[in-house]
Amino acid sequence: MRKLISLLLAITIFSGILSGCGANRKKNTITIADQYGLAYAPIQIMKDKNTLENQTDGIRIEWKKLANTAAIREAMLAGEVDIGFMAIPPFLIGKDKGMPWKIISGLSMSPLGLMTYKEDIQTLADISDDDRIALPQPGSIQHILLAMAAEREFGDAGRFDDQLVTMAHPDGMNALLTRKEITAHFTSPPYVFKESRDEGIHQILSGQEALGGEFSFIVGVCTEDFYQSHPEIYSVFVQALDQSIGFINNNPDLAAGILTGYYDLSQEEIKQYITWPGMVYSDKVRGLDEFIIFMQRANYIDSENMELTQLLWEVDLYEK
Amino acid sequence: MRNNKLIHRVFWIILLALIWQIIFWSGRFSPLVFPSLLDIGGTLIDSLLNGELTQQLLFSLSIIFQGLVISLVLAVFLSLAAHFSEIAASLADTLVAIAHPLPGIALMPLVLIWFGVGRQAIIFIIIHSVLWPLVLNLRTGFSSIPEIYNLVGKNYALSRMQRMIQIMAPASLPYLLVGLKIGWARAWRALISAEMLFGAVSSSGGLGWYIFQKRVFFDLPGVFSGIIVIVIIGILVEDFIFDKIEERTIKKWGMKS
Repeated sequence: MRKLISLLLAITIFSGILSGCGANRKKNTITIADQYGLAYAPIQIMKDKNTLENQTDGIRIEWKKLANTAAIREAMLAGEVDIGFMAIPPFLIGKDKGMPWKIISGLSMSPLGLMTYKEDIQTLADISDDDRIALPQPGSIQHILLAMAAEREFGDAGRFDDQLVTMAHPDGMNALLTRKEITAHFTSPPYVFKESRDEGIHQILSGQEALGGEFSFIVGVCTEDFYQSHPEIYSVFVQALDQSIGFINNNPDLAAGILTGYYDLSQEEIKQYITWPGMVYSDKVRGLDEFIIFMQRANYIDSENMELTQLLWEVDLYEK
Repeated sequence: MRNNKLIHRVFWIILLALIWQIIFWSGRFSPLVFPSLLDIGGTLIDSLLNGELTQQLLFSLSIIFQGLVISLVLAVFLSLAAHFSEIAASLADTLVAIAHPLPGIALMPLVLIWFGVGRQAIIFIIIHSVLWPLVLNLRTGFSSIPEIYNLVGKNYALSRMQRMIQIMAPASLPYLLVGLKIGWARAWRALISAEMLFGAVSSSGGLGWYIFQKRVFFDLPGVFSGIIVIVIIGILVEDFIFDKIEERTIKKWGMKS
């Protein structure tokens, strides 16, 4: 009898702990998460100018910086983050696994590049089996772009999968500059710009070459739950995002000044980077189809259910 | 007694699994957060059969085995030297005092610079995790051998080498086994953490990498199947390998009941 009681007790405690999480309720705090890099500049502008705070009375806005997409995805699943920014492939992987979320808007298009210091590597074909390629993680946009290029050139999307090293962008840049652990680094601004300024480091492959066209690098995403329970905040957020994007495009000098507070770079440098050819801030979403078709073909996603209406809250933001 | 222990283990595991599945069936949580045991089992069997998990498991086991063997050899040499020489003893003490409290993961940035990303780096971390507890235990073991054993050996005119092999080794075996157990547990943890930090090295990244990969592709049943394999290996090594060795040696010799 005593045994039975202690057993029941254990079960109650166990299920009590578990039931603590995951309730669907109206919140007073909205959490927005992004990552490191100049592609997220409009978010930093929005935060700095308090655009969102000014239009949402009584709602606290919390800004989080997470180290990688997987962390953002997990935080959104746990209900810790309401709006997250990420690249299209990790969004699609989540969608494919049943994550109830859709794209709010595009944020930026950006030059991405596979960089190397080795003179004798000019194309992908020159990369030998011993060379190591650093990128943020498998399933990241950098990985998917590399797989796209590998499929086009060698008919094998997984050709480089055995030589990947996962490194956050800053670590990858340091590793490439010291020319020791890795041969090549697939990265984004400002790292790709910094690396290209180093004597002897050159680009093997650009993001556009890999995909065969233009694509949105970063998009904003929110869960169904947030979209339905906070329609007013949603529309205020979309407006604020629009204003920030417009601000960067119209006043790059001022924007660069604000951004010096967020990056360890001078104002001129930031201005040069945010107006770099190919660095475009826009709410349009591009490249979705190309990613979906490739990722289905290469078995990164299984689901056939990838209609535009399933992927975007506002379908007319999609531009082919 | 043994069978009883096994039955208890199985009983609790089945009960926990049942609770898990009931919580899943209750539908309180999205399967993205709390996957069904059936999904987890399915993924586990799939990735064992298609070789994905098996290959990573073998990689992890081979690397930990290498690390253990190297550490064992180093530890025996260091402890024997310390037993017979005062200078070596003070060196060993200092080394242990410096290195023993250092978690292997804290050394990771240095190890990356010294060895780069790869096998050597992980082996280094494993040796670091195993060597110091082993040295500590072996030293205690040697010094707790009753002097009379040695005297008996000398009486039989055994050489120093013979005394080491025939008297010191078996007499200190209980301590060696304890050291190995601690070392194994620490190495196993260090290995998984190190693998999760590193990328795949020539297609094999080990169990830690397998879990990391499942995580980035948002495959929770996959993450769980990796964790289950880690648990199973842990139990197998503890309950079977170490217990069997103890039964055949120190228990048989009456050194441990």
